[in-house]
Amino acid sequence: MQGPAPLRGRPPFALPEDSTIDAILSQLPGQLLDGFVRGLVYVAIALGLTIVFGMLRLVNFAHGAFYAIGAYVGLVVAERYGLAAGLIVAPLAVALFAVVFDRVLLRFFYDKEPTAQILVTFGVALVVQESLRLYFGGTTRSFPIPAALSVPVNLGFTQYPAYRLAFAVGIVAIVLLVWLFIQYTSYGLIVRAGIRDRTMVQLLGGNVALASTIVFALGAGLAGLVGAAASPIYSVDPDTGFSFLVPSFVVVVIGGLGSFWGAVIGGLIVGELQSLTTLVLPAASDVVIYVAMALVLLVRPSGLLGESEVIRG
Amino acid sequence: MKALRFYALTALGLALFPFAIHPIGGYGGLATQILIAGIASIGFNLLLGYAGLLSYGQAMFYGVGGYVALLTVSRFFPQFPNFWLAIALAVAFVTLMAFVIGTLVVRLYGIYFALLTLAFAQMFFFIVFKWRDLTQGDDGLQGIASPPLALGPWSIDLTTSFPAFDLGPFGNLSDLHYWYAFVAIVMLAVLGFMRSLVSSQFGEILTAIRENEERSALVGFDPRRYKLAAFVIAGMLAGLSGALRGLYETSIAPDALTVETSGNFVIYTVIGGVKTLFGPLVGTGLVMYLQNVISAKTDAWRLIEGILFVAVIVFLPGGVLGTFSRKGARTVLARAVRVRPESVP
Repeated sequence: MQGPAPLRGRPPFALPEDSTIDAILSQLPGQLLDGFVRGLVYVAIALGLTIVFGMLRLVNFAHGAFYAIGAYVGLVVAERYGLAAGLIVAPLAVALFAVVFDRVLLRFFYDKEPTAQILVTFGVALVVQESLRLYFGGTTRSFPIPAALSVPVNLGFTQYPAYRLAFAVGIVAIVLLVWLFIQYTSYGLIVRAGIRDRTMVQLLGGNVALASTIVFALGAGLAGLVGAAASPIYSVDPDTGFSFLVPSFVVVVIGGLGSFWGAVIGGLIVGELQSLTTLVLPAASDVVIYVAMALVLLVRPSGLLGESEVIRG
Repeated sequence: MKALRFYALTALGLALFPFAIHPIGGYGGLATQILIAGIASIGFNLLLGYAGLLSYGQAMFYGVGGYVALLTVSRFFPQFPNFWLAIALAVAFVTLMAFVIGTLVVRLYGIYFALLTLAFAQMFFFIVFKWRDLTQGDDGLQGIASPPLALGPWSIDLTTSFPAFDLGPFGNLSDLHYWYAFVAIVMLAVLGFMRSLVSSQFGEILTAIRENEERSALVGFDPRRYKLAAFVIAGMLAGLSGALRGLYETSIAPDALTVETSGNFVIYTVIGGVKTLFGPLVGTGLVMYLQNVISAKTDAWRLIEGILFVAVIVFLPGGVLGTFSRKGARTVLARAVRVRPESVP
């Protein structure tokens, strides 16, 4: 009879033994930038989730599928006509898909309970994911980065890939554009009012149905665009949709569902949190964001910037 | 008398089930897997169907149950391998886990409940995935033979086949292992438990809370306590299911804790029919059977499953059983003939 095998090795979530403060500090700038770029991907995905939730009161489990479709459409177009063409075609194709999805299926679920909405969008996400797997195969594909953008740029304090810098600048610009659209156009006015009180806008003669469709297409197009633009950095496989969707849920919950700047701040927090944890405690880098989300939901259920409405489904 | 009829007919059904699916491509092992997964679906139905809580995290209880059961055999008590101990430790640990997590999540509603359970499940997935020393990470625990089932003076090896007896088109009795008989008895107990639970005062209050939480609270029932109880029971059954799966398969890997696994229990239950006693089991059986038959012929199985799932949500919101039972058919008919009020443009 032998005794139980002892639990050998160092504990799984202990600090790496050779991690001196100096080593960590030297990697810090690059890691912070990585976190910022990753955070921007979450911001772009979460913005779509959050404005669609604000307008339609709908949590879209198929939103990750939009990202994946964008990535694959971008890949196919970029291989033939170059990255720029891919970045234009992908969001348009995804927005078109979203409008069809909305008109054919989703609108019948607007008035249903949230559970039914989650189920139907989850089902569509499955269908999209498996269609992509059948058509493109299950292997990981990577995007060709144009030669002009594949060189590292010296930022003074660190070297950083040019493509990632361009990506960051582009996403920041697009987030600002979306904000301007919502803030200063007449459709944006309907969107903002619709988030406050849908029925009142309808009574005042605002075309909420059209604005809803536009918002849905906009959110989807955004996910499609970032899918195509981020894939040269993170590569793409059929499960990409869910693997970005779940952290994006974390983002919107931390930021506050329905809040524009909540999605922005939440996305950057989640990106940096993952990135910095990778630096000091690699084993915990995936767990940490879920811990953060659970803490936020328990302490402040409406999220950091969410309106303090009573959370009812 | 009614209870006796229920147990007799259910036992008969469970006894005939593995042979009934033989002519259409089923086999004893599949029947066993269906009953094991069905336990978790039945528990999940208490949450979704009766309490109206959509949990996207049942996989954490299922997976952790499996890991604890196998670790009990291989790591915690290797000098004293005992079937009951493995099951008991797994269920006890998962029940405690469900109690702690449940206390935190039952304060939330609808989407927030779904998202928080999803977050907890991801947390446990990554813990299991990264804690290599204990869980072997990506590889999972492999080849851990289940201890024999100690029953009084006897010690039964569940992998033993029944004696050979030819049943014509329905296969051979020896296709079945003792495992099936054991799991069928567990299933009978689970169904009996669930049947009395949902028709008890507890079940009625749970339904009342789903219909109108404020009113139930005003009448004097604390909704959180009832929802927590439902959450713990569902978690416990998922843990039992996972423990049985681990011992039956002699292995478990982190994929038991993925979003996909949680989603599977949702799919099984919704396709079979929420708020029906047998719906989750029927759904589990239907989907797993189709998966077995179709995935042998084409790669498109998961796609077909997704389309089937969406079709059921759109056309048969009550699920297969909810629609084709007499009462369900009446509801569908009534909805079809009812004139829809014009919606506001």
